[in-house]
Amino acid sequence: MTKTSRPEGLLGLGLLAVVVLGPYLFAALTGTPDEGLTGLARWQSAAAAVYCAKGLSPIVWLLVGGVVVLAAATLAGRRLGALGAALDGARGWYLVAVAALIALPFLIAAGTNSSACSRGQAFFWQAIFVDVFTMAILAISYNLMFGFVGVVSFGHAAFFGLGAYSVGLLMEHLGWPWWGAVLGSLGLSIVIALIKGFVGLRIRGLYFALFTLAFAQVFFLLAGNRLLVDITGAEDGFTFAVPDFLNMTKNRLFFYYLGLTAMVVAFLVVQQLMRSPTGRVLVAVRDNEGRAQMLGYNTFQFKLIAIVMAGVLAGGAGVLRGLALKGASPEVLGLDFTMTPLIMTLVGGQATFAGPVLGAFGLHLLEDFLRDTVVTLGGVSINVGERWALILGVIFILIVIVFPYGVVGTVQNEWRKWRARRS
Amino acid sequence: MQPTLRVNTFRQSLILSGLFVLGLLAVNLIVFKPGTMAVVTLSGLYQGMLFFLIAAGMSIVFGLLDVLNLAQGAFFMLGAYAGFAIYGALPAGTPIEARFIAALVGATLTGGLAGALMEIGLLRPLYARPVYQIVMTLGLSTALNEVVRAIYGPAGLVPIEEPPLLATTFTIAGGQFETYRVFIIAVGAALMVGISLLLQRTRLGIIIRAGVQDSEMVQALGINVRRIFTLVFALGTAVAALGGMTAAPFLGAYPGMGTDFLLVAIIVIVIGGMSSYEGTAIASLLVGLTRATAEQISLQYFNTPILASVSILLFMVAVLLIRPNGLFGRD
Repeated sequence: MTKTSRPEGLLGLGLLAVVVLGPYLFAALTGTPDEGLTGLARWQSAAAAVYCAKGLSPIVWLLVGGVVVLAAATLAGRRLGALGAALDGARGWYLVAVAALIALPFLIAAGTNSSACSRGQAFFWQAIFVDVFTMAILAISYNLMFGFVGVVSFGHAAFFGLGAYSVGLLMEHLGWPWWGAVLGSLGLSIVIALIKGFVGLRIRGLYFALFTLAFAQVFFLLAGNRLLVDITGAEDGFTFAVPDFLNMTKNRLFFYYLGLTAMVVAFLVVQQLMRSPTGRVLVAVRDNEGRAQMLGYNTFQFKLIAIVMAGVLAGGAGVLRGLALKGASPEVLGLDFTMTPLIMTLVGGQATFAGPVLGAFGLHLLEDFLRDTVVTLGGVSINVGERWALILGVIFILIVIVFPYGVVGTVQNEWRKWRARRS
Repeated sequence: MQPTLRVNTFRQSLILSGLFVLGLLAVNLIVFKPGTMAVVTLSGLYQGMLFFLIAAGMSIVFGLLDVLNLAQGAFFMLGAYAGFAIYGALPAGTPIEARFIAALVGATLTGGLAGALMEIGLLRPLYARPVYQIVMTLGLSTALNEVVRAIYGPAGLVPIEEPPLLATTFTIAGGQFETYRVFIIAVGAALMVGISLLLQRTRLGIIIRAGVQDSEMVQALGINVRRIFTLVFALGTAVAALGGMTAAPFLGAYPGMGTDFLLVAIIVIVIGGMSSYEGTAIASLLVGLTRATAEQISLQYFNTPILASVSILLFMVAVLLIRPNGLFGRD
């Protein structure tokens, strides 16, 4: 099968574009923009009126119906002719997942009897999902290095944290416009990744992992130090102002879709990269670097490509985080943001496309659901939320020992075995 | 590589290290007053010894088992907390000296026992999957940190009382220095020599050194390598726990203390060349001295200790660029 016959990602993006941009178009055509506002925010308030108009149920039903139809078509698969064939297998489920995430804010709003656009349950969950999307992007990026290319990095937090810091610093201290700051931060990720690659890749295997750990730690120490307190705010971090339309407190639904779009894009980038000839070589480097070299590939270049890609994605996740919180503090550069995507990748299944995303959703949502739960075992009561790091650590060890392929990997293996037995 | 060449690189690295130390001392001499210089040098040795106590186990274990034990810092912390527990558990009338010695012995045993359990229970299933081992030790380190946080709370414990004999300070060339830190230097030096003797002069040492070269061959000679693995792993964690307890009267005990020291220990073994014991011993002193000097310079001129951590990271990067396998590493 050639690359062009895999349209699921583009279909997903298209779906997103229609849902997110549709109201803008609608507002532009019919609405009356708020004259008190300027720029994008003007149209946004008009668009929000479309999203959040009273008696929204037609849109909700349309979305829910769309998800159900897609899911049914996917289940039916090839039996349904051209449409079903296009949706057959994993690609259909990707689409269903994207569609479900598009409908989700309205479903939560309907379920909790609150509006998707004003304070309440729906608002609260949108923020949590923005966090989930951010972590999913980070895990996707981690998986690119760890799963597909087999390069263990213990310094992924450096990219994430620098993304969050630089977008804020560029806007706050240099007065760059938001798009300049975002592009600048991504550019910085590329530069850092290149430095890391050129210096670090001379060092092999374990040395490289330790090198990245030290590399990330330098930034962590610098960010928390009083030496730069006027710029970074040292251990307290700093906050910055973002334009109204990017302000998650004011325009949370928009930010939710922004996060979702970013996640889908990250997913697509990695998927397309790994399905391209370059990706094949990357896997070959993981499996046997010597052999790839013997075949005439400059493995250094290929690993550099992977590091830069992963760096940009992780930096993007950091930018999203910085914008969402309208601030950054040294913890975004800490070991936690290397460990968490690593655990998510392992739980979901390394070297699979959906694994890191599922891992991020599963672990992050579990943490939020169990935040205030108290489990009593015998005489001991455990507050799950307070002990979450401990529980994660134990899950982590168990997975590493008994469940090495993660959820998606194990399911795929069983599925292949089952199919092999049938035929 | 040819044996003669290897001897040459070894000697070269030795000379390089010597020159580096001389350079550091020269910088010390120029920048500081004599009293400060003496204190900085002693404090560099003291830090270097603590780093050595953690790094020694990591380096030998890595050489023999090919496992980088990232939980070693957690064992350091475990030792400190075990010391506290023993201090508290002894009846009220016990003299401090007895408590102190009991805590040292108890912490070492706890560390060794926990290490043996970890090797048998968690590492053995993973020898076929090396990447997962290092990932697992990182997970275990998080888990141990959290267990301690759950039992003792997130705040640290105040340093335990040191024996009155060691709780003094003395003056050297006009600078004040605590006797207890000299005790730590002595403990470190004793272990440095002791482990070296163990490796060079005993049967177990020969087996370990042979195992570092080629553990399959050792097994083929009829030696139960698995048992040696467990023993060596437990020895490594025991030394780290002893280090933690030795530091407890000075640093106290707090949940993140292992991670702080682990990062430096990693830098030490990378600079020394992963599996080389001599390399680790020399590198820990180099790192200790570098760190102490940079800390003092940075305090003197920038009013913050920032250079302390940054300097050793830069040191590591510089060494890796000159010698991609560390100072005394094999290819």
